[in-house]
Amino acid sequence: MNALLILIPITLVLAIVAVGVFFWAVNHAQFEDLDTPKILPLLDDPPSATGQRDGDTPD
Amino acid sequence: MNVSSVVWSRPVLLEQVLRRRRDGRAEVMLRIPALAQGRRALWLEQALHALPGIAAVSLDNAAQRARVVFDEARLPLVRLLAACARVDCEAQPLHRDSLDDSQRAALDASLKRLVVAWIFAMQAMMFALVLYIGVVNPLDATTAHLFRWLGLLSAIPVVGYAAWPFYRDALAGLRARRAGIDVPVALAIVLVFAAGVLNAVRGGGEVYFDSISMFVFVLLLGRHLELRAQARHRALGAAAAEALPLVALRRQAGGGLETVAVVELEPGDRVHVPEGGATPCDGVLESECARIDESRWTGEAKPHARRRGDAIVAGSVSVDGPLELRVERGLAASGTAALERLADAARRDRDVAGDADRPAARRFVWRVLALALATAAFWLWRDPARAFDATVAVLVVACPCAFGLAAPAVLTRTLALLSRHGVLVARAAALRTLARAGRALFDKTGTLTEPALDIAGIRTFRGLLRDDALRLAVALARESGHPVARALAGNAGVGNVPWARDVEVVAGKGVRGVVDGHGLRLGRAGFAGAMDGADEALWLADDAGPLARLPVTETLRADARACVDGLRKAGIVPALASGDALERVQAVAAQLGIGDWAARQSPSDKLARVRSAQAGGAVVLAVGDGGNDAAALAAADVSAAPGDAVELARARADLLLPGGLAGLPLARRLSLRAMRILAQNRRWSLAWNLGAVPFAALGFVPPWLAALGMSASSLAVVLNTLRIREPRPRGDAPAGSRGRIA
Repeated sequence: MNALLILIPITLVLAIVAVGVFFWAVNHAQFEDLDTPKILPLLDDPPSATGQRDGDTPD
Repeated sequence: MNVSSVVWSRPVLLEQVLRRRRDGRAEVMLRIPALAQGRRALWLEQALHALPGIAAVSLDNAAQRARVVFDEARLPLVRLLAACARVDCEAQPLHRDSLDDSQRAALDASLKRLVVAWIFAMQAMMFALVLYIGVVNPLDATTAHLFRWLGLLSAIPVVGYAAWPFYRDALAGLRARRAGIDVPVALAIVLVFAAGVLNAVRGGGEVYFDSISMFVFVLLLGRHLELRAQARHRALGAAAAEALPLVALRRQAGGGLETVAVVELEPGDRVHVPEGGATPCDGVLESECARIDESRWTGEAKPHARRRGDAIVAGSVSVDGPLELRVERGLAASGTAALERLADAARRDRDVAGDADRPAARRFVWRVLALALATAAFWLWRDPARAFDATVAVLVVACPCAFGLAAPAVLTRTLALLSRHGVLVARAAALRTLARAGRALFDKTGTLTEPALDIAGIRTFRGLLRDDALRLAVALARESGHPVARALAGNAGVGNVPWARDVEVVAGKGVRGVVDGHGLRLGRAGFAGAMDGADEALWLADDAGPLARLPVTETLRADARACVDGLRKAGIVPALASGDALERVQAVAAQLGIGDWAARQSPSDKLARVRSAQAGGAVVLAVGDGGNDAAALAAADVSAAPGDAVELARARADLLLPGGLAGLPLARRLSLRAMRILAQNRRWSLAWNLGAVPFAALGFVPPWLAALGMSASSLAVVLNTLRIREPRPRGDAPAGSRGRIA
């Protein structure tokens, strides 16, 4: 029974900490893009300019 | 790119597109059509991160939008745009109103509430478990008391914070005298929680903190899934909201065109509007005649014919051919009027998008409340001591958890599967309609077939060089949105292409205009005035005779046959309506085995075909890619456009198919399956709720059984939803059926 009196407050504190960490993550847009970050480090360099495009300057 | 990027260094334009943030950085929303291709999107992200002064980039590939936060002092917008162009991702800045954060903020808030509900519902369940064990292995009174209070403690964040949206919507509903599902839900949460508090304080009786927390969590989950799907649709449908362009092409005194900011336009200026482009402000038509799509404002699908001197409102779209406009009112005057119309249109859209589940859920929940009242009345009469507990038990057991989860789960699962296969759904209700569709109307050129210019086969006359001929042809072709013209204009890398003047597009025939002071025609042999009127190639000619022959090959898209066959197998009768010549349409129809086809169809003819099929009681699917299909797409019950369709067609389509036409039969099969599973989910959850209520009313359902039943029914709904699966690949997919026509 004494163990419970220590463990239960700990679970409550842990739950509150977990919520705090999660709120921080949401506020810092950590869940906005779940797809690209995992691919980015694997990519080669982007191809350099495909030739200077002829300036479509009107007239 | 028709729009010169230098214009984006003007302060008046920067004022319109940049949002200055409190941290001194600037934020801009870019429209980048190339994002539809995943690889380009990754290149772009890499290229942008390599620039100095970039703080954050977030890409939305499906909506073709990029949101960039950057340091203006180190990286002017013009250089940012140039960097995009270097990786072949032409970017067009959008008005800063599109940087609307409310959607994002709503999603974030919903996610937070969801997680709070989840974590504390788990806590409440853990503490409740001790009480449940107490049923078999009696606890001493102090421990039971302690755990009741712990349950109460865990439920406070759930009921007090996470369930907040239910109270808010319930109050709003009551104020508007239109009580929806939120009123009974809020009522149930508050009543059950209050009963629990009362019993915890009293130190006896049942507490339902775990059930009520889980109830809130599951309902929030359904809400969150719905909200996410909605945000998705709103982003895809945003094309329609960006009706007013920020830059315009102004005719100079010498006849050339210059790019200017729309705010700089003054009454009397002449503006050039390309085909498929929106008019920047109110004005008067200077071209001979034009067909104008005003459906953004009026909802009327049919394009209107306008003659020289007619008034045209801001945000109208030219359907066939470019037009010249004399500005009548500057942006300030026409802008406000346009914004009001826009708001009207948006309101109409929202009304249409209202969820069809709502009435069913509302009826159900009100009945449950009536049942709870009846229970209370019965027990008050028979045995008042049991009335309270039995009533609360009925409320808990009858909570429509699984019911609330049924539709959002099915929707989320289906949309995820479809987007994995290259089908983007811009309007969720379209899935329902697609499942009921019985007929399909296809456009031919650009939708089922892909035209391409055979550069090696170009023949020139009168000593004209091939590159010069191509240059002149591209100058005319880029004024038209016809797929053949777009295929031709795609060869723009042939040198400095001059601007055409006095352009007139003759539907189904060709383009006429003045290039470098030279009157030219581009189009079918007969139109261009070539000798051989039956020739299939494009001809470029002037008044003295033909200048060049540009052969165009038309290939059936690789997945056209799979699409048509697949739809036929799934119970949709295909038909073909094209503006093209009889023989070509016949050839394609024969190759695809379509019996019902029509050639030489104008946009109004296509619209009439859709309407007559609907009048015959059929639910019609329209598939098209051009501005001339827009009317049919809008009028059809459900519509689809390939990923490379023109903006106007994209804005009208319910389904976008960047992954190819083969996605369409898949969408049909999945929508059929989704509707079946949805019906099962509903029946199942209702059966559970209604079946358990009598037992609860008689007091036979203890809290642990109520909690178990609630989780089991919700879990059953989720597991059943997972049965919506992509169909196994079939052996008869005609992978290599790339037939040649012409």
